[in-house]
Amino acid sequence: MTAALELDGLKKSFGKTEIIRGVDLSIGTGERHAIIGPNGAGKSTLFNLITGRFAQSGGAIRLHGTDLAGKAPFEINRMGLSRSFQITNIFPKMTVFENVRCSLLWAMGYRYNFWSMVGRSRALTDGADEILEQINLTARRDLPAGVLSYAEQRALEIGITIAGGADVIMLDEPTAGMSHSETDYIVDLIRTVTEGKTLIMVEHDMGVVFGLADQISVLVYGEIIATGTPENVRANARVQEAYLGTALEDH
Amino acid sequence: MDLILVNLIDGLVTGLLLFMLSAGLTLIFSMMGVLNFAHASFYMLGAYFAFQISMALGFWMGLLLAPLIVGVLGAGVERYGLRRVHQYGHVPELIFTFGLALLIEELVQFIWGKNQMPYEAPEILQFTAFAIAGNSIPAYKIFMIFISVIIFIGLLWVLTRTRVGMIIQAALTYPKTVEALGHNVPLIFMGVFGVGTALAGVAGVIAGPVLGTFPGMAFVLGSIVFVTIVIGGLGSLWGALVASLLIGWMTTFAKSYNLRMEDLLTWLGFTKPENIWDSAWRDLWTITSPQIADILPYILMVLILIFRPYGLFGKRDA
Amino acid sequence: MSDQQARKPAQPLQAGSIALPMIPWGIAAVLLCILPFIFTNNSAITIMNQMAITIIFALAYNMLLGQGGMLSFGHAVYAGVGGFACMHIINSGDFFSGLPLPVLPIFGGLVGMWLAIIVGAFSTRKAGTVFAMISLGVGELIAACSVIIVVFFGGEEGVSGDRTYGLPFFGVEFLQQIEVYYLIAFWLMLSAILMYLYSRTPMGRMANAVRDNPERAEFLGYSARWVRFYSFVASGFFAGIAGALFAINYEILTEENLNTTQSGIILLVTFLGGVGFFFGPILGAIVFTLVQTVLSLQTELWGFYLGIIFVATVMFFPGGLAGLIMMHVPALRLGKLGRLGVPYLKTLLPAAIGALGAAALVEMIFHVRHAPNGDQEMTLFWTTFDSHTILPWGIATLVTVVGFGIMRATAPALVEAWNEANTPDGMSE
Repeated sequence: MTAALELDGLKKSFGKTEIIRGVDLSIGTGERHAIIGPNGAGKSTLFNLITGRFAQSGGAIRLHGTDLAGKAPFEINRMGLSRSFQITNIFPKMTVFENVRCSLLWAMGYRYNFWSMVGRSRALTDGADEILEQINLTARRDLPAGVLSYAEQRALEIGITIAGGADVIMLDEPTAGMSHSETDYIVDLIRTVTEGKTLIMVEHDMGVVFGLADQISVLVYGEIIATGTPENVRANARVQEAYLGTALEDH
Repeated sequence: MDLILVNLIDGLVTGLLLFMLSAGLTLIFSMMGVLNFAHASFYMLGAYFAFQISMALGFWMGLLLAPLIVGVLGAGVERYGLRRVHQYGHVPELIFTFGLALLIEELVQFIWGKNQMPYEAPEILQFTAFAIAGNSIPAYKIFMIFISVIIFIGLLWVLTRTRVGMIIQAALTYPKTVEALGHNVPLIFMGVFGVGTALAGVAGVIAGPVLGTFPGMAFVLGSIVFVTIVIGGLGSLWGALVASLLIGWMTTFAKSYNLRMEDLLTWLGFTKPENIWDSAWRDLWTITSPQIADILPYILMVLILIFRPYGLFGKRDA
Repeated sequence: MSDQQARKPAQPLQAGSIALPMIPWGIAAVLLCILPFIFTNNSAITIMNQMAITIIFALAYNMLLGQGGMLSFGHAVYAGVGGFACMHIINSGDFFSGLPLPVLPIFGGLVGMWLAIIVGAFSTRKAGTVFAMISLGVGELIAACSVIIVVFFGGEEGVSGDRTYGLPFFGVEFLQQIEVYYLIAFWLMLSAILMYLYSRTPMGRMANAVRDNPERAEFLGYSARWVRFYSFVASGFFAGIAGALFAINYEILTEENLNTTQSGIILLVTFLGGVGFFFGPILGAIVFTLVQTVLSLQTELWGFYLGIIFVATVMFFPGGLAGLIMMHVPALRLGKLGRLGVPYLKTLLPAAIGALGAAALVEMIFHVRHAPNGDQEMTLFWTTFDSHTILPWGIATLVTVVGFGIMRATAPALVEAWNEANTPDGMSE
């Protein structure tokens, strides 16, 4: 079986600074994989490389065995990979419902269609309402997305990310800036909506990581120093030394 | 050969004039992300103010005072207009400066009327500096080159050698960080806008006597200036310089050498249709280079955009 | 506020319902039919024709600016080139005599679309400033070509023709203005409906998405560039239709139909009307045409006033007229709109009087500066006086100061009334 996502000697430099220094990683289908590491380790850069936001300087990225080199974000998305952003990235002027409906359009085969009315498609409306139900935003359906609370916007962001039916979901710090109760809420949400999908996430909150992930990779200075189950990573001496320190003992 | 030299000088005058406008525009753009559509209007105001001042106090006071007034006006526009519109986003900002350009043109017509003003070079500069093969070069042109070069050296010196210049350069790339360091970024923005418009004012003062001081002068030069900075690459000062000189020389040479499309087509092996005035291709056959000199910048811009979308010196993701 | 929203049950759109709200469109259609019976004289019909063409053009422009977030400074060329092409069809002799005139706008649309495809291929890579600059450059280029490519653009004198040489359409030869009116009205209705429906298609929706957040749209499977390109092409098509109707109505096209002034006017019309709502540009076109007709007869300075209004709109009411109207919807929902009437009257009436006083001062300054020597008489507001005496200056200054003074005095009360009208009862402070 080919891995859902495979990184092979991936490198990225900005000018003379090498941010990602040869990352090899294989993430299996259905795996819940968390990438952790100290600030500046290159986690977000890694995400941006995989999703085509930046071009890599070397190495290869394969999604379901297909090389992603030179592909634009929209092409990668069409191949079944969807992502969320660290800074909330929604369509603030459109209603919550519209936000979700727009993210369904391509997956439902509408493409660059300018002859069907979106309002007349039951499948589209029901599909969007179903997603809203899953992310508990039905009551906010007709409000402009920009007026939602921060946690609600994060939930919407996750809704938009999963709506297209992608089987590989990448979440960039989904709980950043949230309170404890909000974090618990989002973690539950992520667990239900990514059921049966491959999940790759960057996260700082160790509670979230150990609660959600079944595989963890530790990225330090652009290199992966350990990959394994939470228990293995927790026990890894190099990881403890490089990054986790005593913080891990508390959990 | 001599004619080439004359054209080189003429083109240099035009190019430097363009650069005086495009430099200010580029500075403002790269700092604030706003393309000031009304930039050429400040150039026009410079010419009109200088004319009015020269009536009372003479040309030299005009050269000194008019850019100052224009700069203060520009700073006022930034402080009380642009800063307010900024919150709505980039497109309203552009629309605002566009509206401002309309308004300034109407205002100029309101105050000075629609006719050209009798604004002339000072008598002290109304002589022939030297002649090349019978083509006289007026001293005023040499003066224009001189003024422009002095201003650029001054600008370069301020930007690279002074503390203020360092802060401006830093604010160009990292406005947030510069603000966090305790510098008053809004004030810097206002200052840069003022200086940029004052530069346009200087250009107006010295160009007014040559190109004419009339309500359409902003529009005539304005669109060429925008084309210049697109060709040079938005936000690149070097790009603006190269593109300005390129356009200056290109249009000057196209005007003075009467190259005919007919010759080119014949050289390429086409035969001229017999009844050229009935042919659908007559416009193609009768094109001459002076005829298209003024649209050459636009053609160049389209070509650049197709083959090098980020301009000559622009960054790929600008 | 929020719990009120929460209590309201979600109302899913009924799938299969007709996507067009019938009542406003029905009213518009009826109005278009009966207007010529209300305003019967020829000049009124001329104005209405101009208005209708401007509406189509402004709606097409707003497909870019409002729906797609793309600011074009050269959109007149798509209408203009479409119009020129139609002029050539009108002059084509045999082909035109086999073609009913009402079909002609389709050709104008196709030519506008064709030009938009060519230009859009390289101009829609980026939105924002870059797009605006390119649109300006291309617009200037094509406008400048009008004196070089004489075969197509007719040089200085333009291209003119005679629309009545077309195949009679059910016996109508379009000799009369009124016949042309109904032709234009038909195309106005059709184009407006099509443009409205377009905004409800996946492409229309994604145009909004790309406008708000192009990067996010890319991560939803859509190429922002292609979405912009399609909006641009669709806009070019409808602009071409407007150009064709211009050709039919005026039977002449010149460089003026292409130049940046024309492009600027359509930006002005659309923005004054309001880019945020579909009906904004319609409102803008109607108001602009009326104001232009009335003001340009009254004063030479109408461009100056227009410039002031435009800049003020951008600075203080970026939503335009439509935005101003829609601002009142919350108060209307609360049933408290009526409470704004008196405060409005108290503030806006003095403001209007003050503005008229200021305009009088402006006119008088203009007269003193620019009237020929010895001509000291001027007529303003049906009054003739000597502009070189003190009295009229005193009156105008007084009216201005008092008008704006009362406005300033009553403005706080208006703000208070406004806040009150937008607060649901029982939710004080």
